[in-house]
Parts: sequence; C-alpha cells; structure tokens
Amino acid sequence: MTIRTARPDRGRHFRPRMHCIKKLEAMVVEMQDLKSGVKGSEQKLNVTKIPHVITGQDIIAWIASKMKTETEEAHVFGTMLVAYGYIYPLQNHKKLVMCNDTSLYRFQTPYFWPTQNWVAEDSDYAIYLAKRNIRKKGMLEPYEQVHYNHLHEWLNHKWDFIVMQATEQYKAGKERMKPDCVVFDCQERAYWIVNRPPRRTHSAMDCGPERLIDPSADENIFYQQAIMRSKVKSSVSLGALVKYITNYKNHDAFLAPCLPSNPWQTDNDAYWTLNMRRVDVPTKMRVERWSFSLFELLTDLRGRDDFKIFLKKEFSGENLAFWEAAEELKWGTASSMSTKAETIFKTFLAPGAPRWINIDGRTMGLTVKGLDHPHRYVLEAAQTHVFLLMKKDTFFRYLKSPVYKDIQKKALNPEPHNFSPAQLEQNALTRSPGIHPIILWQQEEEEKAKAAAASAPVDVKAMMSKIDRKK
Amino acid sequence: MPLVNNKVGDDCTVGTDKALADGKALVDSLIKVVACYRHLASCVGGCTDSLQLRDELRQTREKAQKLSVSICQHLTSHLRDKSLPEEQRKEMELLWVAFSSSLELLHIDMCKVFNMGDIFSPANTAALVQTGLQGGGSEVAARALSLPDLNQAQTPTPADCLESQERNTMEKEISQIDHMIDDMEMKVNVLRWMVEPHGPQYADPLSSTDSASLALLSVDEEQPGHQPLCQRSHIFVLLLLFAVVLLAATLSVCVVFFS
Repeated sequence: MTIRTARPDRGRHFRPRMHCIKKLEAMVVEMQDLKSGVKGSEQKLNVTKIPHVITGQDIIAWIASKMKTETEEAHVFGTMLVAYGYIYPLQNHKKLVMCNDTSLYRFQTPYFWPTQNWVAEDSDYAIYLAKRNIRKKGMLEPYEQVHYNHLHEWLNHKWDFIVMQATEQYKAGKERMKPDCVVFDCQERAYWIVNRPPRRTHSAMDCGPERLIDPSADENIFYQQAIMRSKVKSSVSLGALVKYITNYKNHDAFLAPCLPSNPWQTDNDAYWTLNMRRVDVPTKMRVERWSFSLFELLTDLRGRDDFKIFLKKEFSGENLAFWEAAEELKWGTASSMSTKAETIFKTFLAPGAPRWINIDGRTMGLTVKGLDHPHRYVLEAAQTHVFLLMKKDTFFRYLKSPVYKDIQKKALNPEPHNFSPAQLEQNALTRSPGIHPIILWQQEEEEKAKAAAASAPVDVKAMMSKIDRKK
Repeated sequence: MPLVNNKVGDDCTVGTDKALADGKALVDSLIKVVACYRHLASCVGGCTDSLQLRDELRQTREKAQKLSVSICQHLTSHLRDKSLPEEQRKEMELLWVAFSSSLELLHIDMCKVFNMGDIFSPANTAALVQTGLQGGGSEVAARALSLPDLNQAQTPTPADCLESQERNTMEKEISQIDHMIDDMEMKVNVLRWMVEPHGPQYADPLSSTDSASLALLSVDEEQPGHQPLCQRSHIFVLLLLFAVVLLAATLSVCVVFFS
C-alpha cells in the first residue's frame, strides 16, 4: 500500500477523447484572443465589475464563422465546450449547455482544464466541500451533502488535514481582491460540476466502469436479446453430454481399440473392407451405431439401405424418398436445381401426387410458395418436418422390427488382430493402394440405376385398384 | 490543556511535547504554504499570468520545499524512536498523515504548473486565457512567505534563461518530492486506518468579513428569474412604507389643525 492516493490517470492517454480535447484547447485559446476572438464585456455585480464575460450568441456566431459551419453545429460545439469545462455559464451554473442567447459565460482557467492528466481527486473534492461549508453552513446541495458524508467516512484519517487545508485555502483566498475571490469561486464550482455532476445528469467526463450513460446502445439490444433467449440448465446440458459420451465412447478410435485393428497402426485394412459402403454383412459396431439416432442411421448409407428395406415393407417409403430428394437438391449442382425442384413437386407435393407426403398445411403452403422461385434451401422446412416424423415414429418401429433384429444377429464381430512386430513389418511391406475410386464410383452408379429401376414410384392408385381387384 | 503530572520531572515527555508542538507548527505552516501555492497555481495561464507570478510561485515552492525537508527529518526521527509514549505517537501519526497529504497536494500542483508552464508562456500575452481575474497573486504570496509586503526588488531577468533554468529546477524538485514520499513510506510505517482525527466533521464557518463576497456570489447565482420577484416585493414594501408615511403626515396635520 503506497502513500499515494493521488495518481496520474494514465488511462486517459489512451482514450481517443484526449486528441479531440487537445484540439479543443487550441480553439479555446484562439477564441479568447482579444483581437480576433469573441468580444468580451463586463459583468456588473453589486458594486464591482468583473471583466471578460461573453454571451452565448457571440460564442456561437464566432464558432460558426471560424469553422465555416451552420449555427446548429456551432451550437452543439459550444455545448461541448461547456460540457468539458472550458467555458462555464455564469447563470444557471448547474446546466452545462450553451444557449444561443444573451446568457453569460466565462473562460475557465487552465489550471482546471481537463487535459491535466490528473484524476479529480476525492480529497480535493472534500476540501472544496469543506470550504463551501466554511463560507456558509448548510450551503451544500443534498447530493453534495451525501458525498461529503461519504468522504468523511472514507477519508476519515485525513479529515483533520482536510479541514485545516480548507480553512487555509479559504483564508488565502480572502487575501485576494473581492472580484477575484468571486471569480475563483465560480471557477472552482464550475470545475466540480463537471467532475462530480449532480444526480441524474451526465457529465462529459464520464468514462470507465462507473459511467452513467452508455453511448453504445447496441449493447443494450444485445443484453435484451440475451435475456430473451431460452436457456438450458447446466444440469440438463451436462446430462446430455454424459449420455453422448457413454454412447459413443466405445466407438471412438482414440478411446477404444477398433476391431479388428486400426489400419493406420497395423497396416492391415480389414477394418476398412469390412465397413465398406455396399458390404452384405455389416459389423456389430456399425449396427449398434445405427441405433443411436436416426441421424446416424441415415448418414451411414448402408444403414439407409436397411431402413429403406424396412420402409418398403411398411409402404411408407415416400418420407425417406422425399428426404433424400431434398438432400440432393441441397447438395446438388446449381444448374440442375430447377429441374429437380420440378420433379420433387410433381412427385411429392402436388395434390394427388404419386408419392404424396403428409405434412401440415402451413409448411406445405410455404414450400409450394417457395417453389415458385426455387433455391437450394427451399425444401428445408418440409425436410425437417419429415425428418421429425420419421424420427418420432418410424425409427423406433424400425429398431423393434425383425429387419433390424435380423441384421443385428447376422452382424460380424471380427476378432482383434494380434500382430507381432515381425508381422507388422510384413504388413508394412505388403501395403496395397486399395480399390481405385473410379471403380468405386462406377459401381455406385450401377447400383443406383438398378435401384431406380427396381423401386419405381409406388402408384397409390394402382395399388388401391389392385387391392380392389383382389377383393 | 490536560494537566501533565510532571512531579517526577520527566524530561522525556517534556521534550517530546515540545517536539510535538514544533512539528505541529511546522505542519501548519506547510499547509498554509500549500494552500497559497494552489491559489497561485490557479492563476497560471490566465490573464494575470506574468513573470512576477512565476517568481512568486518559485519562492513559495522553495519555502514549501524547505519546510517539507525539515518536517520530514523531524517526524521521521521521532517516529522511529521506539521509546515514544503512546499518545505522543498518535499525535505524531496524525501529523504524519497531514504532512503526507500536503506533500501529495504540493506534488500535484507542481506537476500542473510544470505542464502549464510549457503551454503558456508569460511573454506571449495574447495566448493567455481571459479568465476574468484582475489582481495578481502578490497578497497570497505574501501570506505564504509570511512577509508583510512583497515588493522585493525583483529585476526581471531575461525571460528565456530564467524560464529554462526554472524548468530544470522544477523538474529536479518534483523528483525530489517524489523520492521523499517514497522514502518516507520505506522508513516509517504508519497505519492509516489506525489514525483517528480530532477535529469536527464540519469546519467552523468563519463568519467575519465574508458577507460581502457571499452577497456577490449569491447575486451572481440568482441573476435570472429571481429579479422580477425581488422587484415586486421591493415595490410592495415601498408602497407600504409610503402609505404609512402618508398616514402619519395626515394624522400630524390633523392634530396640528385641531389643537
């Protein structure tokens, strides 16, 4: 703890305001020039005259002509000068504005200018208030009284000094000429109105965490939105995280050894061949993963195939078909978008379409309207709806269905490899590049063509007529 | 003043009592000088700024410097004396706090004057701010230096060399005070939260001759708005007085007539 309670406000150096204030100073010095500045006159008090008093309209006229701007801007500039304490009003000293009329102002002495890089000290304020009280007891405003009491508590150890210093300053002030006394009092008072503004007014010197008015209103909107956002309790979100971890921890190749062996470590690509796209029998881990969520099931193409088989049995394949078509639209080329949108509309959305999907009226309306000017995400709402339908209903039925149980039973569970170092060396030497991607792609295309031919759109009407005929 | 039971002739207490009184006197005068320095500093850059003002500032500062050095030595030696009795120590600590606060004020004022001296030079009178002051700080400086009259023959030496010399000395003195503050803290450990002041919360209003300036200031404050009301009340009182005078006159005339 240092002895110093007075310290230079080094933070002020870095505040952008300081540059403006330095320019202001140059302007003020010009303004008070006897020859080319604002014309001053004398203020008549009871028995004395105090010189160097200027009227508001003179100031504003001078600023307007000097800076070559309009009166309104000069007015605002003048108000800023008053707010920063370079000029203080003589009448109505608490309101720091410049009025464009005959109200009187005077220049503040440089000792009290804001560029002095010193914080307006609390002990100085205490001395000032004590002085005011010496002059006449009970002259302090209520907010000043509050400050005074607070300072008396906080600066209690210095209080003798403060009172003595106030008395001495007062006595020293008395030595001066009467008008000078008045002028000095006005100056000090103006300085403290700027630096310790009365309640419910804001000061131009506001800065830092205790400021009263925040110029950035955007922050306010930000906080309002933050309050309105729905929040999740941390217990809930943490629970979800724990559940996720427990589900996936055995499937993570970093945390659990993958079966049969990690190809990157052992150079044996059995793992990859067993988990290929169109393998007949998937591995147990893969099948288990499908049960985690519909998303997992659909993203794994092998799982999607399985799901399709199930849906075919249930005659509710149109949802998945629509979902797939929407995915194609989303990820497809821009040139094919309009044709795809047309086909989708004709196949799934038009009333009486062959594979009509059952979505609610509002979404349907929005989607159809959007299809007038199709873009990539025009089916987003409908797709989400369909996905949710599948998730809530079809997915659970799939998990309980014989199709899934069958595949679970059939799934492979490969033995973990146990290579010796010599075998590892061997594996490394016999590494092969694997199947060429073009071949894989060609295979895919063939399969797709076969699937398209095989699963022609199920004509509801034909089906109905078939059932009728059977009857 | 409490009666000190000095029957045994305890020289030690008497000695420290005197030391305390000395210290108090020194600190009081330092406070006075600092107050005067502040008044003078507030004139710098204004229209009353002149070489004379700068000179007065320098003299006041030198006096303050001398006082602070002597107080520092005095208080440090006494506070480091372990055999000091408890009440004396408390008083010393009070003086210590007062001394350190005065030093801080002096330091701030000196720095401000130093900075302003850069910007405002008394030679360039056009650039000095018209603050409405008319008198200089001579009386204040006289008070500070405890001199009845400050018309010492100051031959104004050429402005330039005086100013640059002045700035150098000022820089040195500012750093000297800086060091003093730091040294003090190193040598003596005064716990500020243990120090209890004697004085009252409110300084006694000095009601002597301030009514005039108070009137000036209050007129200054109340210029707008109140005037019509005052005028109205004045007129009312005048009318009443006039009516009373008229009544008295008619009554006396009647008395004279009918007697």
